[in-house]
Amino acid sequence: MSTQAELDKVISSEYEAGFTTLVESDTLPPGLNEDVIRVISAKKGEPEWLLEWRLDAYRNWLEMAEPNWAHVTYPPVDLNAISYYSAPKSMEDRPQSLDEVDPELLDTYKKLGIPLHEQEMLAGVAVDAVFDSVSVGTTFKAKLAEAGVIFCSISEAVHEHPELVKKYLGSVVPKGDNFFAGLNSAVFTDGSFVYIPKGVRCPMELSTYFRINEANTGQFERTLIVADEGSYVSYLEGCTAPQRDENQLHAAVVELVALPGAEIKYSTVQNWYPGDKDGKGGIYNFVTKRGVAHDNAKISWTQVETGSAITWKYPSVVLRGDNSVGEFYSVALTRHAQQADTGTKMIHLGKNTRSTIVSKGISAGKSSNAYRGLVRMGPRAENARNFTQCDSLLLGDTCGAHTFPYIESKHPSATIEHEATTSKVSDDQLFLCRQRGIDPEKAISMIVNGFCKEVFKELPMEFAVEAGKLLEVSLEGAVG
Amino acid sequence: MSALLSPEDLKRQALANVQDATESNAENPALTALRDSSLAALKAAVFPGRKTEQWKYTSLQPLADGHLNRRAAAAATPADLPELGDYRLVLVNGRLDESSSALPDGVTLKREASRLEGLTTPFALYNGAALDDAITLEVAANTDVAGTVQVIHYADGDQPAHCNTRLEVVLGTGSRMTLIEQYLGRGPVLTNAVTAIETRDNAHLSHYRLQSEARDSLHIGTLLLRQSGVSRIDSYQLMAGNRLRRNDVRAFIDKSGAELNMNGIFVARDRTHIDNQLCVEHRVPDCTSNQVYRGLAGEKGKAILNGRIHIHPGASGTLAELSNKNLLLNPGAEIYTKPELEIYNDDVKCAHGATVGQLDAGQQFYLQARGVPLAEAKRMLSLGFVNELVMGLPDQTVADWAQPWLAGELGQSRGADEEAA
Repeated sequence: MSTQAELDKVISSEYEAGFTTLVESDTLPPGLNEDVIRVISAKKGEPEWLLEWRLDAYRNWLEMAEPNWAHVTYPPVDLNAISYYSAPKSMEDRPQSLDEVDPELLDTYKKLGIPLHEQEMLAGVAVDAVFDSVSVGTTFKAKLAEAGVIFCSISEAVHEHPELVKKYLGSVVPKGDNFFAGLNSAVFTDGSFVYIPKGVRCPMELSTYFRINEANTGQFERTLIVADEGSYVSYLEGCTAPQRDENQLHAAVVELVALPGAEIKYSTVQNWYPGDKDGKGGIYNFVTKRGVAHDNAKISWTQVETGSAITWKYPSVVLRGDNSVGEFYSVALTRHAQQADTGTKMIHLGKNTRSTIVSKGISAGKSSNAYRGLVRMGPRAENARNFTQCDSLLLGDTCGAHTFPYIESKHPSATIEHEATTSKVSDDQLFLCRQRGIDPEKAISMIVNGFCKEVFKELPMEFAVEAGKLLEVSLEGAVG
Repeated sequence: MSALLSPEDLKRQALANVQDATESNAENPALTALRDSSLAALKAAVFPGRKTEQWKYTSLQPLADGHLNRRAAAAATPADLPELGDYRLVLVNGRLDESSSALPDGVTLKREASRLEGLTTPFALYNGAALDDAITLEVAANTDVAGTVQVIHYADGDQPAHCNTRLEVVLGTGSRMTLIEQYLGRGPVLTNAVTAIETRDNAHLSHYRLQSEARDSLHIGTLLLRQSGVSRIDSYQLMAGNRLRRNDVRAFIDKSGAELNMNGIFVARDRTHIDNQLCVEHRVPDCTSNQVYRGLAGEKGKAILNGRIHIHPGASGTLAELSNKNLLLNPGAEIYTKPELEIYNDDVKCAHGATVGQLDAGQQFYLQARGVPLAEAKRMLSLGFVNELVMGLPDQTVADWAQPWLAGELGQSRGADEEAA
């Protein structure tokens, strides 16, 4: 029933979003030193304190060593071969509306099936599109401004809302947090900034589409979302990148601050170029994502990871306040020679804090897919609860699926449960589907979708459709 | 207090001993080859420090008292050692006491040890490099050993010192044996232990590992199981915390059809420490492993379990399970558990589960409402938590020893219970 040939057919399907956009860029020569940081800062017209902050991060970073504990192998990244700044040329006279945006750029989004115009209408999604490192088009600003929501690029925020940026930048992920976060702190070029005022429910879902475009340009986004007391925001992040042969480093930092009673829902669909079937090329995705939940606040991470050659990513929640809630829902799919080491950290500090982790890993081909998670109950985490479930699905006998859950408890009234299972697509399930006239490709897709259902139902509508499609593209017909 | 101890300090201390030992110790030439090769490997080894992933939760700082600087002197066998088996071997500070030892028919004893795959930790290498004595038990093919064999490793000393103790057991084709390994001791001695067991085709081993040395003692031990034949090993491990207890258990399942069952209870109370590192390697298809561990920690005790199941490429048809449930008895105690899966094959069935929780308040209330004092209620419920495993001990003598021992471990009144309502 299950044949290797059918499996290979699926695994060998080509990356659908691979193409390059020819837009002239204003790019710094490769290499990293204090002058490069000064140039980046000057180009963005940053205030003195931010330059100092960057330089401080850089000096600190020089002392740090690249982490090697993850279950991934890759040739060392030459950080001096990367250009740390690249902005589309038309930056000087920024387009006032979408009509003025470089048509080729807009076309890029169209090829991905997410044209901005359509998105504006579709479900009222505001898009802050990051093309390489500088925000090009921002939509729905007016409507958001009405509600008092600030949604802009982080460079804009530095100028227009310095007090907020200064207060919260680095408050969740300190500049010396880890090797890649340190590097990001020194050289970040752009990203999104969101502020939701007290008691405001953000009127629409906020969304940023990232694209890595310029060859040899690492992207160092910095996203900062602050939800003030009692507010709510849902934020969508989706990424695809053109096909090319050199490894591109992506070391982003995402910081979420949920003040008392606030709720942040952060959803990601990640479909960067995973490299060819031997693992050549592809994005190195070394991301630091973390949120702090204050009293009665809630932070929810949902991710669908199908791209990147290497994924190193642990969206975390620090449950600092009493009664705060953290959630993590993840589907990670690896095929060919992709490697993923991803999971979450739930740090329970406050009383009555709760967290839920649901992780689904699917591996095919020669790929390796690891869940690495930490649940820590601090000494004051009275009545804290955690439930973790991580399931792995293996397609074929050459892939790897791993689980490394760290469970630490320092409070007797804290309760932690962890379950993990490993399975394959069973012959019985396949037989049942085929008996009913469903072809094996469709059957696999159905079974895998069922396997991921728990996570997909947490995604916002638009994303759930996209995620389902993405899995189908990657997996249709995979017979285990 | 003692100065901070770096991995380099540990290595220097260990190496200093071994160089002396090789010169002064010509009494057992059978060990020379092992000592030499272990020493060579030890020279290249890196001792664990605070940043070593496998030692994340365990500090070797207690060794700063100089345990590695001194070897425990030869001592006499105490008179009151428990008799759990029909036959008994006693090693005091790593040396066999022949006068208090006896063996059943079909089991031969040799004073030797061999270099084995899988013994790669610096402490296991040091054990090999510094051995004064060692015993290898060989069970002849097709022998059903009559009676149980108890091996006592006794550590004795008044000052911080260490001893190296080593036991190797080979079960020949078609043989059966019940082996009770017991670690006992007096004084602040570090026991650096290695036990290596190999089972050939159709062999069946029931293995008990009971560890209850003095509270101020230290224990760093490796248990290596190798199923080179279609065999079955049932291992039961009962461990009490002491100042530092570290157990590395490594199992290689190397022949299709082999079955491994490991059960363990570990109790860390009163500022004691237990670190269990389990690793089951499924290297061939169609084998089964089952692990059930229960941990308890109370009164600033620290209990750690890292249970890895590693399914190698090609090991299809594997069934592997690990369950680890833990009970945290009071504030201040700590539990760390990490059940790991590393799987390179799709045709396997693997599952692990881990929980950390506390005694059920409703159950405590139920007992208190019936006049049972809180401390006693807690003891009863804690016993209930591990009872399933204690009841499952097939050897009656061990079970009879384990029940009062566990009741004592779980029930000693320790002040912290006074937080009662």
